[in-house]
Amino acid sequence: MSLLRYSGRRVVQAIPVLLGVVAITFTLINAAPGNPVEIMLGPSPNQAAVETLKAKYGLDQPLHVRFWKYLVNLVQLDMGRSIYYDAPVTTKIAQRLPQTILLMVSSFAFAIATAVPLGVISAKRRNKPTDHVTRIVSLVGVSTPSFWIGLVLILLFSYNLGVLPATNLVMPWAHPSNVTGASTRLGVLYVAGAHLLLPMLSLGTLQMAAITRIERSSMLEVLSDDYVRLARAYGVTERTILRKHAFRNAQLPVITIIGLQLTTAIGGAVLTETVFEINGMGRLIVSSISRQDFPVVMGTTFVFALVFVVGVILTDISYAYIDPRVSYGDQE
Amino acid sequence: MSAPLLRVDDLQVQFFTEDGVVRAVDGISFDVREGELVGLVGESGAGKSVAVSAIMRLVESPGRIVGGHIEFKGETLIEVERGDDGESYRTDATIPDGELRERIRGREIAIIFQDPMESLNPVFTVGGQLREFIELNRDLSEEDAREEAVRMLREVGIPEAAARYDDYPHQFSGGMRQRVLIAMALACEPALIIADEPTTALDVTVEAQILDLVDELQERYDTSFVWVTHDMGVVAEICDRVNVMYLGEIVEQAPVDDLFYDTQHPYTEALLDSVPRPDETVEELNPIKGVMPEAINPPAGCRFHTRCPDAREACKTTNPDCRDVTDGVTEHRAACIKHDAFETTYEGSPPLETGSGGGFDVSLSGGETDD
Ligand code: SF4
Repeated sequence: MSLLRYSGRRVVQAIPVLLGVVAITFTLINAAPGNPVEIMLGPSPNQAAVETLKAKYGLDQPLHVRFWKYLVNLVQLDMGRSIYYDAPVTTKIAQRLPQTILLMVSSFAFAIATAVPLGVISAKRRNKPTDHVTRIVSLVGVSTPSFWIGLVLILLFSYNLGVLPATNLVMPWAHPSNVTGASTRLGVLYVAGAHLLLPMLSLGTLQMAAITRIERSSMLEVLSDDYVRLARAYGVTERTILRKHAFRNAQLPVITIIGLQLTTAIGGAVLTETVFEINGMGRLIVSSISRQDFPVVMGTTFVFALVFVVGVILTDISYAYIDPRVSYGDQE
Repeated sequence: MSAPLLRVDDLQVQFFTEDGVVRAVDGISFDVREGELVGLVGESGAGKSVAVSAIMRLVESPGRIVGGHIEFKGETLIEVERGDDGESYRTDATIPDGELRERIRGREIAIIFQDPMESLNPVFTVGGQLREFIELNRDLSEEDAREEAVRMLREVGIPEAAARYDDYPHQFSGGMRQRVLIAMALACEPALIIADEPTTALDVTVEAQILDLVDELQERYDTSFVWVTHDMGVVAEICDRVNVMYLGEIVEQAPVDDLFYDTQHPYTEALLDSVPRPDETVEELNPIKGVMPEAINPPAGCRFHTRCPDAREACKTTNPDCRDVTDGVTEHRAACIKHDAFETTYEGSPPLETGSGGGFDVSLSGGETDD
């Protein structure tokens, strides 16, 4: 029960954060030199045309009025129209978001699924060969940029070996008729997996390495805690100590790191999408910034902030789920 | 007299650190008889905690038991001998790890650590942890173990035990947690409980309550205890026999009354002078002079000679063993060459200047933590 209340409170607390994000992006975009109308109309535009266009996109109104309007519309899920695409921003985001979410979720899943066992084993076999190998691999992992990994993977598996596609993503839930090379649902899954593998590895390696390192050090720390020594003194087997008495506690710092990794992952997604030519949110935001497509930049930033906030709330809730001190402290 | 429950013989534990070998425990011997509460007392860093953790082979790396023999109920918990190559190895008489874990740890010997705040796992309920250890060490079903856990919580004076079973450790105060840990130890019905400074982290009133509780429960359950402390007040209150440790060695060994009223070792005397005693009014307390040297590089001769008020030249060369100094009238041993039992040149040897520098207050209650 207390966990539910805690979660509710975290969600409510997120609202001002999102509001802040909107305010800051809005100010920044409008403070930047140049405006989209000038770009659209070329170097020496007709004054009347400028006025019409400005009126069309509401750029002629004072800043605070525009901000208020934007907020009111945002609450109704209306992010305005893209100047470049001449389509609602929400439509554009709806097209792009699934690719990015798929990429991020899969790379986090890959990272957690490999890093947690690796870290635990590494801690258990401290200073043995397994530990050394894991430590070297994770050190290399955290110090290699994701786009470089992506390029190497493409070179190796697509260009040299030709076994995996180097561009684009295919949604696993797409209809077979829309997917080249697949005629059944299973076939779609296969094609989707093949497309996903390289981008996932390239984005996930950094996360994996970072989580492995923290998992290892956190396990090591917990393993020398008094309650672990006590369990050992009461005849609990090393296996049970590792799986029950130490594991749960050791995940607390790991969860914190996963939450923090979300920011790097968003940045990494932009690069990965560029390298693998994935039409996701990352590429959308980059191209919209260079086109000064204000509404799209605002919209995508907001959605990224939303993704981040949701991620942080999820980490907070898992933290509270593991550590009763957090959720119970909330009651007092 | 029947064989003692626990017999520790010439135990040596060393820590192999980067700075060199630390002889944390350097050949100590003591025993514990059934129903007895035996104290192990000394300043922080004397090696008390290491000594008791060796009993269940819980010494952690880089520490290693490099010598000695520990026998419990006729079983060899550890026997380490030095081979021809100079390496120490366990003899075949030593019971294997798995058996030690299954038959001895928790079941026969339980332990209570110093810091109740750190000894319970923060992410599991208090009752759950208690139940787990009971289940493991008494072959009870989950339900019976649960019942037993609640009963034990009641037994150690936790109010509304059944309701508090599902609480987490952070919802208990330090004193209450230490009660839980005592309940944990007793619930497994061991023959021996090792209490490693269990009241040091608590404040004085709570400490007094816990000591009363232990006194009462010990009588009822007839459990033997090894009680590690640096506090002579605690020793006076609960111990039957006492071992005084200094720098990895036992320097005096006596029944509690003899230790207090017929002190034979200058270090014990100094310890007693440094704490208030209810039976004596003194003008002022006398802290022991100087700081205990590092165990990595102990002084030659008697290890206490750098601080001993009675030290003489001869003390710099002879390291006395702990031997009978009262002609067998009582069981009273001390390691100090001023006694006749040691045939040395102490009598004719000139006194040493000692104890320059600031005083070092050994202990009142609390304050010190790490050992
Ligand atoms: S042997 Fe000498 S230095 Fe050691 S305790 Fe006795 S008198 Fe003091």
